[in-house]
Amino acid sequence: MENITPESLFEARRHFLKLGAGALVSSSAVSRLLADLPKDLSLKYTPDTNPLKLTLNTEEQATNYVNFYEFSTDKTAPVKLSQKMKTNPWNVGFFGELKTEQMLDVDDLIAKFGLEERIYRFRCVEGWSMVVPWIGFPLYKLLDYLEPNAKAKFVKFTTRNEPSMFPDQAKGIFASIKHPYVEGLRMDEARHPLTFIAVGMYGKRLLPQNGAPIRLVVPWKYGFKSIKSIDLIECVEEQPLNTWQVQDPKEYGFYANVNPKVDHPRWTQAKERVLGKLTKQDTLPFNGYEKEVASLYAGMDLRKLF
Amino acid sequence: MKILLVLLALLPLGVAYYQLDNAIDPIKMLYSYTGIGAISLLLLSLAPSTYKRICSINWLRYRKTIGLLAFVYALLHVSIFVALDSEFDFVTIFEKSLKKPFIYVGLIAFIIVLLMALTSFKKLFAKFSKYHKAVYLALALALLHSFWAQKVAGVFEYGIVAVGVVLLGERVWAKMHHNFK
Repeated sequence: MENITPESLFEARRHFLKLGAGALVSSSAVSRLLADLPKDLSLKYTPDTNPLKLTLNTEEQATNYVNFYEFSTDKTAPVKLSQKMKTNPWNVGFFGELKTEQMLDVDDLIAKFGLEERIYRFRCVEGWSMVVPWIGFPLYKLLDYLEPNAKAKFVKFTTRNEPSMFPDQAKGIFASIKHPYVEGLRMDEARHPLTFIAVGMYGKRLLPQNGAPIRLVVPWKYGFKSIKSIDLIECVEEQPLNTWQVQDPKEYGFYANVNPKVDHPRWTQAKERVLGKLTKQDTLPFNGYEKEVASLYAGMDLRKLF
Repeated sequence: MKILLVLLALLPLGVAYYQLDNAIDPIKMLYSYTGIGAISLLLLSLAPSTYKRICSINWLRYRKTIGLLAFVYALLHVSIFVALDSEFDFVTIFEKSLKKPFIYVGLIAFIIVLLMALTSFKKLFAKFSKYHKAVYLALALALLHSFWAQKVAGVFEYGIVAVGVVLLGERVWAKMHHNFK
């Protein structure tokens, strides 16, 4: 918990000092002051210097326009529907081909791996994009800790399956997609330094609608790879069947690398709508991370393995 | 009365204009407003004849207005595709977009509505009104287009299907009933 230092506590302390040496302030007054503070979710982390000079989208945009089918297929409905979601405590299970199978709470993970900020482009397969300052730790740190064995060729991620928390999971055959949501990465993709586990954004813990309390962020892949509210991380031998590939294999593949040259069967992927803008911008190969990740796919036909 | 109908039907466009500044995904928002508007009005244009049969209320005189309003929405929808989404890049429109069923199905629906709008005035209507049954095809194609517009269909799409089934079912029933008499 030592990494979580509420910003408002700093403010409170400053306010306290302003009162003048604290001489006449009774402890009950301080506790009253603290009790009045809104619940704060701010985090302590190493900031990203933003060398690419990316222009951030607003927190309002990033927290009010989401695809979270466990709540609704609508982009704004999950905001209201998710507010009662209980994300603390939250244990994540680590199983499969690794040294010691175990469960760890998100707070333990934060304490173990520390927090840093990553300002990344985020491109949805539907054609919109944004720039988000995520907070978390690179997945390789977690994998180094878990020590996958020689059989571990892929990493499989599963969203929590809890119909009382996620209304769409309670709909049975009328659910919008097959639950629980599954995603996967090849081990070398998972170990890539850009691949990120986020627990926060915009300086604070993730809000429920953004996949609290812990999610994946793979900036060179379409957004659906960045699975939310993770329950399980497994190291596996076989390539996992990810949810959207199961849903429609003609439209969504395993790799889902952002590629302006390979269209979605229904729309072109050459350009994107940056949230908040009426004009469009060119979509970049691998979402602008070509230099860093293109070598992972050397010799592969990215039209077939989309 | 017709003025009121027009104002009411165009009200959502005013709302869209008002919301544009703060819209998170403005192009998508304009697509939704105009697309949902066009399909809803097209469906509504089927209602007057239903009312006439069921409630003996004759609203047929509003049918043309409703149809033309649907055309206005459809025209705006296509304009957004050309101007905002494609940014007048006709090479991409013809070489890529129009080859996708999602796009050409929507375009065929639009062309049908366009031809109906052009032949909805006096002399031409007398000649072409029998072809205006194509509205059913336009509606079906527009609906297919809207199903394809999202990753998975939602309440609006299924709602329109439900209302459409009711309106069509009534027509089929009325026709059979009539024939038996």
